[in-house]
Amino acid sequence: MNDLLGIMLVTLIIWVGLFSYVYRLDRKVRRLQMEDL
Amino acid sequence: MSSRLRVSVVLPWLLLLWMSLIIWAAFFYAPAAAGFQGQSSRIVFFHVPTAWVATLAFLVSCIASIRYLRTRDVKDDIRAETASSLGLLFAVLATVTGSIFARIMWGSFWNWDPRETSITFLLLIYAAYFALRAAVADPERRATLAAVYSILAFVTVPFLVFVVPRIYWSLHPDTIINTQAKIKMDSRMFQVLMGSLAGFTGLAAWLYTIRCRVESIRRRRQQEVL
Amino acid sequence: MLRSLVETGAVFAKDLRTEFRTRVALNALGLFAVTTLAAVSYTIGPYRITEGDRPFLLAALLWIVIFFAAMAGLDRSFVKEEDSHTAPLLRLSANPLVVWGGKFLFNLALLYGLMAILVPLYCVLMGFRVVLIAGFLLVLITGGYTLAVTTTMVAAIIARAMTRGALFSVLSLPLLLPLLIFLIQGTRAAVEGSADGIADTLRAVVSLGGIMTVVSVVLFPVVWHE
Repeated sequence: MNDLLGIMLVTLIIWVGLFSYVYRLDRKVRRLQMEDL
Repeated sequence: MSSRLRVSVVLPWLLLLWMSLIIWAAFFYAPAAAGFQGQSSRIVFFHVPTAWVATLAFLVSCIASIRYLRTRDVKDDIRAETASSLGLLFAVLATVTGSIFARIMWGSFWNWDPRETSITFLLLIYAAYFALRAAVADPERRATLAAVYSILAFVTVPFLVFVVPRIYWSLHPDTIINTQAKIKMDSRMFQVLMGSLAGFTGLAAWLYTIRCRVESIRRRRQQEVL
Repeated sequence: MLRSLVETGAVFAKDLRTEFRTRVALNALGLFAVTTLAAVSYTIGPYRITEGDRPFLLAALLWIVIFFAAMAGLDRSFVKEEDSHTAPLLRLSANPLVVWGGKFLFNLALLYGLMAILVPLYCVLMGFRVVLIAGFLLVLITGGYTLAVTTTMVAAIIARAMTRGALFSVLSLPLLLPLLIFLIQGTRAAVEGSADGIADTLRAVVSLGGIMTVVSVVLFPVVWHE
């Protein structure tokens, strides 16, 4: 049970990390697009 | 702010919530499947969607390629290239997760069962696609040749996916059957799997739009430099 | 219609004539095949494979030799045009389908010629005994056709790229993988005397060849005039 919790938490952390990275990228690209127009 | 902009701001957060829920559900809501080693069946919730996305990306790339040949619009070439690069990424993920799963379940990392062969084929096609793109200097010719290759590859896929497995069984009667197809899935497992599928598709679609936007800006800047 | 056929014949004849002048592709194909055959025959020979493994192993080896010989020489007809700068003239003077027809026939002739020499040698040197000879011949003929159709298209694509030789193999192999699998299984069936196996293979190879022909005819003009 604890192992499962551990793996799940690691997965969650990886996911949140990935998400924030992509989100920041999205924001940056949007800013670039606004400038370009 | 226009409504489209507002929606595109909300969707990523929804995706965050959804995937977090799926991750929790994959470990605690869905039961561990019988007939699998311990908890190893849970990798299915991550493996199947990546394979699905890899195939979907291939389809998108081919459609974009056909459109490019018709319209010669640079945007379609961007779509084809982006879809292929995402497809490659997810195909690699699918191969790795599948391989790990195969090791846990059946003891060896690779068995050349039909599914594994299909994903290898997809990997080879993507690699070839990018090798071709790298080898052509002129942008329009690059786009055209890549599009043609994409279509050629697409035409070959039905044969690999549908015809080979039927013949394959007679060749290797002891080949390990891909149990995901055969086992009747517990309804909870099925729910989580579908949810994960939707989540991964959403994630891929998001990555796809970002990548397309970046690429279009990059190309425009390149044009300006020239 | 008749005029197109005559022109196709002319392109084919021209390619044959220029090929016999320098014999580059012939040498590449022939040398590769003979060398590989010698190496395999010397080290493995007719006696070192157990009876049970024979059909499959020998079938696989045969097609591997044929395929790699094809990779060595079948891009020649297009690459030669580009290198000797006669391509623009050809583009202006002939209808693209005529060019495709002529080049395809050239590749087909190269392949059939290769097979005519290689297969008997293989049977002798490797102790390769085929039970269903007619079926085996059909597999060879249809396999050669489909192989030629696919490689002609790929050769056209890479003719004006930068890293031609390697690129030709990299692009062809994924497309040819399903074909290779079918042909090996069909040849194995011919050795084991299974008419069903041959029928399965023929069906698959013929449909693959048919589809490739249709796609080539549609897409070749695009590639040729790019």
